Amino acid sequence: AIHKTVEHTALLAEEGKMKISVQSRSGKSIADLDVEPELSVRDFKKKFFGLKRKYYPSRQRFTLPLKAGETRATALEDSKKLSDYGLQSGAVLHFKDLGPQVGYATVFFWEYFGPLIVYPLFYFLPQYLYPGQAAPKQHALVQTLALGYWSLHYSKRIAETFLVHKFGHETMPIFNLFRNCVYYWGFAAYVSYFVNHPKYTAPGELQSKVALGIALVCQLCNLRCHVILANLRKPGEKGYKIPRGFLFNFITCANYTAEVYGWVCFTIAVQSIAAGIFTLVGLAQMAQWAVQKHSRLRKIFDGKEGREKYPRRWIMLPPFL
Amino acid sequence: MLTMGLKTTHLFLYNSIQAVGWAVCLYKLAIAYSSMQKPDQAYAEAKDFAKVFQGASILEVVHAAIGIVPSSPAMALLQWAGRSHILYLVLDAVPQVQSSPASVVLLAAWSVSEIIRYPWYALSAIGACPSFLTWLRYTAFIPLYPVGVGAELALLWQGLPHLAARGAYSLRLPNQLNWGFDYKIFAQMVMVIYLPAWWQLYTGLLRARKKRLGGGGSKAKAE
Repeated sequence: AIHKTVEHTALLAEEGKMKISVQSRSGKSIADLDVEPELSVRDFKKKFFGLKRKYYPSRQRFTLPLKAGETRATALEDSKKLSDYGLQSGAVLHFKDLGPQVGYATVFFWEYFGPLIVYPLFYFLPQYLYPGQAAPKQHALVQTLALGYWSLHYSKRIAETFLVHKFGHETMPIFNLFRNCVYYWGFAAYVSYFVNHPKYTAPGELQSKVALGIALVCQLCNLRCHVILANLRKPGEKGYKIPRGFLFNFITCANYTAEVYGWVCFTIAVQSIAAGIFTLVGLAQMAQWAVQKHSRLRKIFDGKEGREKYPRRWIMLPPFL
Repeated sequence: MLTMGLKTTHLFLYNSIQAVGWAVCLYKLAIAYSSMQKPDQAYAEAKDFAKVFQGASILEVVHAAIGIVPSSPAMALLQWAGRSHILYLVLDAVPQVQSSPASVVLLAAWSVSEIIRYPWYALSAIGACPSFLTWLRYTAFIPLYPVGVGAELALLWQGLPHLAARGAYSLRLPNQLNWGFDYKIFAQMVMVIYLPAWWQLYTGLLRARKKRLGGGGSKAKAE
């Protein structure tokens, strides 16, 4: 059997090919492929899909076997070639099924579209959503303004999804679609229920107008931050860059700063604990992401070997974080 | 002692004190049981220790948040909140359920679990944990968990009508905060999530047990 392998390898080498053994991470053999070393990872995944029709390319994850001292296996990147990883004939790659995938833009669209429909329901259909409660004939000004602000916010998010954001990954696990929609649609209902309730008590109009005005400014800042982030990498560029300009000169995740302050202002404008809870939960999640991003950037831009040193900046929320 | 750092000393002391507290709680329950006292009397004997040491265990959330233990702060908070809710907001607040056997079963299940768990943490912190204690820590939960969860659900179920009748922990509209909270609905949702959430925890612990103890004593297969 060994001499057959040697023969096979020699035959392949004549054709300029090499054999790759794909195994599961527990060592079970899945498939063997004969490929040119110059093949891109992307095309390798297409070939693998040809053999295993269940696993379309975005579900495939290939890692190199762990070297001594490594705890995390190196994953193959679509844009690289097999030869970039120094793979020889007979090399082993570990395969992981990432599960059914869905596109980033698809998830973003559906998670933001829900709030656009759900929130207005409580404003326009109180007779169904607050059964048995006599609603006042007219909404308070702040309730109408809040509806406008909310709808504008989520329309902006959908527009950014298709016109601004450049996603670092193409797909995510399909469970995220379900989980994110539960979060956004659930909170839309929760906040709207209380703000549009027949027994809603409006705060002073000046408070509401000023707060929503500031919130709008925060939204514009947030948009500007998104545009800056989208333009950080030139087309085809990979790798992390230090964000600069506007608020990024002082804060790593200035986009989150603007978003949090926007929701704080919304909460003050409508004066509802429900909005406050929504703001807090969003703040907690963004803080977690911001800390991760900030440490990642500081780790990469360490000032050694000609790399820049990441400047001293707030993480997300001066003067607290 | 030896040259222990601040973190190790603190963890050793905290977990030892907790172990003692819950041991006393269990002792009080045992005395009450042996003198044939009714559940509400047994509860009256043990409750101060349970309340103090359960309250103090909020520190475990802080430990996770500052990173001196590997747990997730969110999980720690959730578990602390779940237990505290049952102890302070239900059991301690509704005298009627204190006469239910579930009150004693609850405190007993908690105490037994804690007199295993806390010594395990304390000794592990100083690297002096005997293997039988590790076995106990990863095995005792198998019967104790279902018993504890059953008692918690029973108490919530029994206590809810009384709490709902007096409108406890609830806020009604209209108010300046434009927010309402109906504790009865909240408690009902908690009861619905309890079993699936608890099942996830339980099976997670069973998996961790397999990893730690090697599945019934057999060595893990070589790859």
